[in-house]
Amino acid sequence: MDLSELERDNTGRCRLNSPVPAVCRKEPCVLGVDEAGRGPVLGPMVYAICYCPLSRLADLEALKVAAALLSLLTYFPDSKTLSESERDRLFAKMEEDRNFVGWALDVLSPNLISTSMLGRVKYNLNSLSHDTAAGLVQYALHQGVNVAQVFVDTVGLPETYQERLQQCFPNIEVTVKAKADALYPVVSAASICAKVARDQAVKNWQFVEKLQDLDIDYGSGYPNDPKTKAWLRKHVEPIFGFPQFVRFSWRTAQSILEKEAEVITWEDSPTEDEEGLGRITSYFSEGPRTRPRLSHRYFQERGLESVTTL
Amino acid sequence: MESIDEEDVEKHRVHLRPITLRNAAPATLHLLPCEVPANRPAPVERFFTPAIRQGPDGLEVSFRGRRLRGEEVEVPSGLEGYVMVMEEKGEVLVGKQDFSEGSENDEQEQELAEPPEALERDFDRFIGASASFSHFTLWNLETLPGPDAKVRAALTWPSLAAAIHAPVPED
Amino acid sequence: MAGRGDDRDGAGARQHVFLLPEYLKDASKKMKSGLMFVKLVNPCLGEGALYLFNMCLQQLFEIKVFKEKHRSWFINQSVQSGGLLHIATPMDPLFLLLHYLIKADKEGKFQPLDQVVVDDMFPNCILLLKLPELEKLLQHVTEQKEIGKRKYYKYSKEKTLKWLEKKVNQTMAALKTNNINVGARVQSAAFFCGHQVSSHKEEDYIRYAHGLISDYIPKELSDDLSKYLKLPETSASLPNPPSKKVKLSDDPVEAKEDYTKFNTKDWKTEKKNSKMTAAQKALAKVDKSGMKNVLTGYFVAARRQKRDK
Repeated sequence: MDLSELERDNTGRCRLNSPVPAVCRKEPCVLGVDEAGRGPVLGPMVYAICYCPLSRLADLEALKVAAALLSLLTYFPDSKTLSESERDRLFAKMEEDRNFVGWALDVLSPNLISTSMLGRVKYNLNSLSHDTAAGLVQYALHQGVNVAQVFVDTVGLPETYQERLQQCFPNIEVTVKAKADALYPVVSAASICAKVARDQAVKNWQFVEKLQDLDIDYGSGYPNDPKTKAWLRKHVEPIFGFPQFVRFSWRTAQSILEKEAEVITWEDSPTEDEEGLGRITSYFSEGPRTRPRLSHRYFQERGLESVTTL
Repeated sequence: MESIDEEDVEKHRVHLRPITLRNAAPATLHLLPCEVPANRPAPVERFFTPAIRQGPDGLEVSFRGRRLRGEEVEVPSGLEGYVMVMEEKGEVLVGKQDFSEGSENDEQEQELAEPPEALERDFDRFIGASASFSHFTLWNLETLPGPDAKVRAALTWPSLAAAIHAPVPED
Repeated sequence: MAGRGDDRDGAGARQHVFLLPEYLKDASKKMKSGLMFVKLVNPCLGEGALYLFNMCLQQLFEIKVFKEKHRSWFINQSVQSGGLLHIATPMDPLFLLLHYLIKADKEGKFQPLDQVVVDDMFPNCILLLKLPELEKLLQHVTEQKEIGKRKYYKYSKEKTLKWLEKKVNQTMAALKTNNINVGARVQSAAFFCGHQVSSHKEEDYIRYAHGLISDYIPKELSDDLSKYLKLPETSASLPNPPSKKVKLSDDPVEAKEDYTKFNTKDWKTEKKNSKMTAAQKALAKVDKSGMKNVLTGYFVAARRQKRDK
């Protein structure tokens, strides 16, 4: 899989796709949606769609079992190499079927995830996931894929997710189900695409930062992996926090920052009421010389004050 | 906060070493939209600078997982930016001693104007410019600072101040 | 977290970010020393404020600091909390001298400048006497007398108001060329009073300029100037909201023309002035004898003025 575009700039999002097989424009198609790397505190989250004509669905059946097995392997970091090579093999097989199977990916960088979730207006991971999935289906339609049915592995409650997607695509039959990757071969195929991309992205991650003594042994990237935790502790920087490879919005990352880094205050940081009170009382306790001074509104509006000390 | 005795504040003078204004090397400054409660070295060049991107309508970067948008702000014409550091008492960072070794040999030292009386007293302090700048990057949280940014408005002060403080016309 | 972030860890000294007039750099070529920050009395607030002197160019600079909540600097490879930006701009020293001339006028006498510009709290005020062309400058705000080789000065409110009017006029012109939004406050007043906004336009500028100049003079003089400029009195109940267009900090907005703050200061000033220096006393004696004829007229005027208060 060619992820060179991502490697050039991995601070935002990156969409990749196969050419659309001609048959997919003509015949009604079934399209599967799945993601990889939703849980880890490190690296990107990848959303993938995979589609093929309804008439060729049987040709994808073999992927189903393989995908179910692979999704299990994700949780065993030690079998990573095995699962990776297996995935690559399966992806290669899909590429052989490129005359009737198409795919597209959306790689959401950890930076995009952090800045979305920590934004002034919070954009939670579920909404981000749902919008990304809908965006990919829309993209397929845009490319001329004749989408008749959509199968989605659920994120959050399947009912609300399904309703949301069905609203976006009233002319398509949408099915959202848990473990859809084990039930529907197009979802299995999408799952393989997503996982291959996520693994490759993590493995070849181009750190934006110029890091010294960079340790690339970060384990599975899951917050409960001791290797991942150790890596986070090693790479915390008191001012900047972590490299952008880390999802700052994860609780694991936040709690390490609270202990090991400076507390940064933003305009929209929650303020404690005591803080305000402290400020007001200080006017009284510090005597008349520190009472608030009133300058002309020209200065007040511009944040300009006279200087009393260097 | 400098540890100056409050009693001394009104009396003492803080002498700005003139030579440091000429020798100050250009510095890169970023004005951030957050309070970082620290005054010390930080690996800006390793973490921050490489993450800056030129977006369609301004600069973008992220800091601590938050998206910042920025733009260059020029120091108003007629002004020059300096970063100054107070010398510790008794410490001479750059001073008279260095002066004769200055690169500008065309200037005769005896020609240097010196105020007629000693302006420097034992209890005075010294400050020097450690760097200079002619622009800085202004960052806001998630939105571009734009023309209404408070600091931009503040930078219009020198031109108004010039009018307020210009000598009045004679009758 | 505790222990981090303050200067106590010793890793970095506080860095001050300044904007200075660029000619100071060229002027510094000819200087070994003579650039200094000193604390002087802020003529509006009666409190100490930082000023910069260039003793070689014989120039005075005012320092303002830009301060916004939630700001910090990255300066090269360092971080500096606070995000302050200091701006030094040339200042008319007459505003600072005026503070002392008005104070000294409580004596009602002509006095030499070195007896006027004295300050226990801010002894660096004597540096003001080293500025050039003071005599010419002081003509705007004082009556002057030369006795022997010595110059004696006395504060003249009439001259000062004339001078301040010129200051207001040149400030107004600059407000217009700089497109400063001066209107917001009167717009709301117009809303309440049913006046036409356009008819207030010129008055807005005068009032705004008067407000800016008032930041450099004592409250009493600001009031006199307001009358002198025939500015209609604003209703005290009308607040003075800063222009809506400008985003404000979260700081509580205070009424801009609450002058109650000056009360304490005026009281302090008077108390201080009641102490005469030996030199002043000596001059007072001289007045009664030798120079009586020369000065009578002025002292009559001065006494009358005093009585009128």
